Amino acid sequence: MKPRIGVYICHCGTNVAATVDVEAVTEFAATLPGVVIARHYTYMCSEPGQALIKEDARTLGLNRVVVASCSPRMHEPTFRAASHEGGVNPYQVEMANIREQCSWVHPDRHEATDKAKALVYAAVMKAAHLEPLEEREAPVTPGALVIGGGVAGLVAALDIADAGFPVHLVERSDRLGGRVAELNRTFPDLEPVAEWLPALVDQVRRHPNITVYLNSRVTDITGFVGNFEARVGPIEAGLAPAQIQVGAIVIATGYNVFDPRLKPEFGYGIYPQVVTTLELEQRLSSGDLTVNGKTPKEVVFIKCVGSRDQQLGRPYCSRVCCMISAKQAQLVRQALPDARVTVFYMDVRTFGKRGEEFYDEARRAGVRYRRGNVSEIYRRGERVVVRVEDTLLARTVEHEADLVVLAVGMEPRPEAADIAALLKLPRSADGFLLEAHPKLRPVDTAVDGVFLAGCCQGPKDIPDTVAQAKAAAASALIPLMRGVVPMEAATAVVDPELCAGCGMCVEICPYSAPALDPLWGVSRVNAVLCKGCGACAVTCPSKAIRLQHFTPDQILAQVEALVGW
Amino acid sequence: MAQKPAALVIGAGIAGIQAALDIADAGYPVYLVEREPSVGGRMAQLDKTFPTLDCSSCILTPKMVSVGQHPNIELMTYSEVVAVEGEAGAFHVTIRRKPRYVEEDLCRGCGACAQACRMRGRVVDTFNQGLSKRSAIYVPFPQAVPLIYTVDPETCLYLTRGVCGKTFLCKDACPADAINFEQKERIVKVDVAAIIVATGFDLMDPRTKPEFGYGVYPNVITGLEFERLSSASGPTGGKVVLNGNEPQDVVFIHCVGSRDPHTGVPYCSRICCMYTAKHAHLVRDKLPNARITVFYIDMRAFGKGYEEFYDRVKEERVIYRRGEPSEVYRRGDRLVVRAEDSLLGRTVEVEADLVVLATAVVPRADTPAVAQLLGLACSPDGFFQEAHPKYRPVETARTGVFLAGCCQSPKDIPDTVAQAKAAAASALVVLHQTRSR
Repeated sequence: MKPRIGVYICHCGTNVAATVDVEAVTEFAATLPGVVIARHYTYMCSEPGQALIKEDARTLGLNRVVVASCSPRMHEPTFRAASHEGGVNPYQVEMANIREQCSWVHPDRHEATDKAKALVYAAVMKAAHLEPLEEREAPVTPGALVIGGGVAGLVAALDIADAGFPVHLVERSDRLGGRVAELNRTFPDLEPVAEWLPALVDQVRRHPNITVYLNSRVTDITGFVGNFEARVGPIEAGLAPAQIQVGAIVIATGYNVFDPRLKPEFGYGIYPQVVTTLELEQRLSSGDLTVNGKTPKEVVFIKCVGSRDQQLGRPYCSRVCCMISAKQAQLVRQALPDARVTVFYMDVRTFGKRGEEFYDEARRAGVRYRRGNVSEIYRRGERVVVRVEDTLLARTVEHEADLVVLAVGMEPRPEAADIAALLKLPRSADGFLLEAHPKLRPVDTAVDGVFLAGCCQGPKDIPDTVAQAKAAAASALIPLMRGVVPMEAATAVVDPELCAGCGMCVEICPYSAPALDPLWGVSRVNAVLCKGCGACAVTCPSKAIRLQHFTPDQILAQVEALVGW
Repeated sequence: MAQKPAALVIGAGIAGIQAALDIADAGYPVYLVEREPSVGGRMAQLDKTFPTLDCSSCILTPKMVSVGQHPNIELMTYSEVVAVEGEAGAFHVTIRRKPRYVEEDLCRGCGACAQACRMRGRVVDTFNQGLSKRSAIYVPFPQAVPLIYTVDPETCLYLTRGVCGKTFLCKDACPADAINFEQKERIVKVDVAAIIVATGFDLMDPRTKPEFGYGVYPNVITGLEFERLSSASGPTGGKVVLNGNEPQDVVFIHCVGSRDPHTGVPYCSRICCMYTAKHAHLVRDKLPNARITVFYIDMRAFGKGYEEFYDRVKEERVIYRRGEPSEVYRRGDRLVVRAEDSLLGRTVEVEADLVVLATAVVPRADTPAVAQLLGLACSPDGFFQEAHPKYRPVETARTGVFLAGCCQSPKDIPDTVAQAKAAAASALVVLHQTRSR
C-alpha cells in the first residue's frame, strides 16, 4: 500500500518550541515524499492532540504516522494507541525525538531547527518502509512457583494463594521459616519470634492453595512468562522429581552470613570468647551466655564485620547489623545486669521506623557506644583484648573482654547463582540478584514473570523483606489475574532457506528464544520469548535473521536520510 | 458477570501511582484521588535520583502518563476524600471535587490563560519551592497529568476580590472557551472494596531551628529547594546560582530536625544522607572548583549501591566532617558555619556562600484528621501506624485499609515502590475475595 503519512510536530509547551522553529519544521515535513498532512500542536500527547491524529487518520486515510516530540520511552504507547484508534497499525507509527535529542541539548535555535528537520526527515523515510505487525497474547498458567521458604517466600506465597492461585513453595531445608526461625527476639519491640513466626508457617502449611516441597530444590526451569515449567528435585536420592507448570516465579532464596574466619585477625574459631551475632541469638534463646563456664563481665560488639570493607570485596552496608547489635546489646544488659556492654561502630545506621528511638533506648540502658575501627583481637590470660583505633579520641585503645560478638554482614548465597544461571538472571556487582530498575522496579527482573523477594536482592530487615515479598506477589498476580500476557510483536524471524544451522543465535540470545530444530537443522525463534533486542540478527553470519520493525531497509532508509543531510 | 469491585488510592505520588497501576494492571478498577491539580507528588520535584543519577521526571513521567490513560483507573485530581463509611469489601467513599474554574474536557493545556493572567509573575510558585513566580491560573509543572489549568482560588483577583479589571484576561485569551468561574465543587460517591493510603510527607520548616538562619539569610536553603535549583526544568535551568552568583563554598548540614528529640523529631529521616551525597555530587558536577563540605553525625548509606555511591562522592573532593553545626552566621558578605568537629575534638568554622539544610521528613500536617476520617491509628512519631512492625508493615488496624510510602514512615523511592506494590498485593487479595463472595 502506498504510504500516506501524517507528521505531527509537538511544541511540548515551550520545551521544544522555545528552541526549535516548529512552524518551519512542519512546513518542511509537508514537502517530504508520502506526507499527506503535517501539523504542529502545543501538546500532541494531550487529548486534543491525540484527537488530531485520530481525525486525520480517518478522514485522510493515513497508513503511517510520524510524531516528532519526546523520547519514545515516554509516549510511544500513547501515539500507537491514538493511531490505532484512527485505523493505523500501531507498528506503522514512528517517533522522532526532537526534545531529549534536540531542543534540550542544543541552545542555538537555528542549529536545533536544522537538526529537528533532519530527525523528522529520517523518521518519515523510515516510516515509509514500516510494515504492519500484530500484537498477540499468550495464555497464562494459573499458579506460581516460590523458591525459598523463609519469611519472604512465606509472605509472597500467602498473598498469591489468598488471591486464589495455586502456589508451589520449594525449600531446600527440612523446615519453613528460614533465617528468622534462628532468631530469638526482634528489634525494635524485643518481641519473641515465637509469637508470630510459627503462626505464619502454620498458615502456609494449612493453606489449601499452597503445596510445600521440603528438602527440595529447583533443578530446571524452561518456558517464559505465563508458561514456565520447573522441575523440583528432592535433595535425597530415591524420590521422584516433580514437574510443575506455573505462570510466574518468585525467587526468595535469602542470604548467607559472612564467615569471620576470612578476617583471621579477629580470632574467630580460635578463641571461644569470639562469636557471631547469629550464634549469640542461639545463646540468648537458650539463656546461656557463659564462656568457659564463667559469666562474662565485659561484652564487646564489633560492627561491620564483612561489611563496608573494600579489601574483602564487600564494599556494601549490610543494613541490619546496627539494629541487631543494638538489640543484642540491650538483651545482654537485661540478662547480665552487672556486665559492661560496649559497641564499636563506624556509623550507627538506625534508620528504620522506631530505629533511632531504639538506639537511644540502648544507650539509656547503659550500652556504651564507641566509634572506632577494630584492628585485632588477641588472648590475654582468660580474656581477649580488642585492639581498636578510637576515632573520636584519635588514639589506640585496648579493651579487655570476656565475650566478643561479631556483627557479621550478609552476602549472596552460592545457590542463588544456580537459580540465576537457570533463568539467565543478571546479578549486580555485589553478587546479589539484580532488579530491573533500582528505583522504580525493585522486585522485577530482566526476565518477565520472574520476581525477587527479600535478601536475595540485597540485605534488608524483616519489615522491608515482607514489603518486598508482598510487592513480588503483586507483580506475580498481574499476569495471573489477567490470564493473558502480551507478546512482543517486533520479534526476530528466521528465513529457513538462508539459515545454515550454525547455532550462533542460540548462543548469543539472552532470552533463550532461538533453538535449533532437530529435524530440519535450522534455527527457529520462539516469538513469546523474543524481546526484539536484535542480538541474533547482527550475529547471524548468513543474514538469515530479520528483526521485524528494525529491518535493514527500514534502518538504511533512516541512515541514508541522515547521512545525506 | 457482576461488575468487579474497585479500590480507592488516596494520594498520587509515586506510592499511589505504583499501587494504582498494579491493581489496574491486574484487571480491577481503581479510583485514584489526588489533592493537587496534578499527579506526581514529591518525586516530580526532584532533579536526579541516587545512586544511579537517573533524571527523576524522566523515569516518573511515563508512569504519570500511564495512570492518566489506563482504562481501569479513574483519576480524580484536585479532589479530596471527605468521608469513608462501611467496611472491607464494601466501603462507601465521599469525594469532594474542587472547582478548577476550568472545564476539564475543554482545556487543551495551551497556557494562553497563564500568559494573559493579570497576576502573571506575581504568585509564589510552590512547586518550585518559592524560587519563582507564576500566574494565578497555572499547571504546577509542564509535564502535569492531567494537563489542565487550574485557577488558584487564593490568588485569583476575581475569586478573591470579585473583580479583575474590566474583563477577564484569561477568559479572553482562552481559545477553547474553557474557563468557567461559575464552576462549583462537586460531591462524588463511590463504592470500593479496599483502600490504600499514600498521602506522603511534609518537610520540617527549618525556621524551627533559628540558629541556622533559614529565612534570614537568602543563601541558606533546604534540600528540596536545592532540587529545584539543580533541576534542568527548574527556575534557573539547572544552574546553581543564587542572587546571580555561583557559590564557591557550599556546606551541607545533615539531620536538621532529625535525630533531635529536643527541638526536632527523635527519629532518623532515612533519605537525607543519600540525597545530600547526591547534592554534593551535583555541585561538583556543575561547579568543578567549588569547595564542598558535608557535616554529618552518622553516615547512613544503607541501601543497594548506596555505600558505593558514598565512596564515589568522597573521592570527588567532597569533605565529610563529622560534627553537628551549632549555628550559621554572617561575616561580611559571606556565611560562617560553626560546628563542633567530633573527630578533631574542637570547634571549627567553615565559610560558605551556600548552605543546604537536610530538613526532617515529618508527617503531613493533616495526618490526625486523615487518621480520624479513615479510622486509623498513628504511631508516636506521628506517622500512620502499621498493623505489626515486622510482618504486617502495610496493613492497618482497620481491615481493608493499607498504607504505602512515606505516610507510614520516611523511606526512599525503591522502598516506597516496594511498599506500594505490597499494599497493592494486600488490596488485590481483598478485591479477589470480595468478588468471589
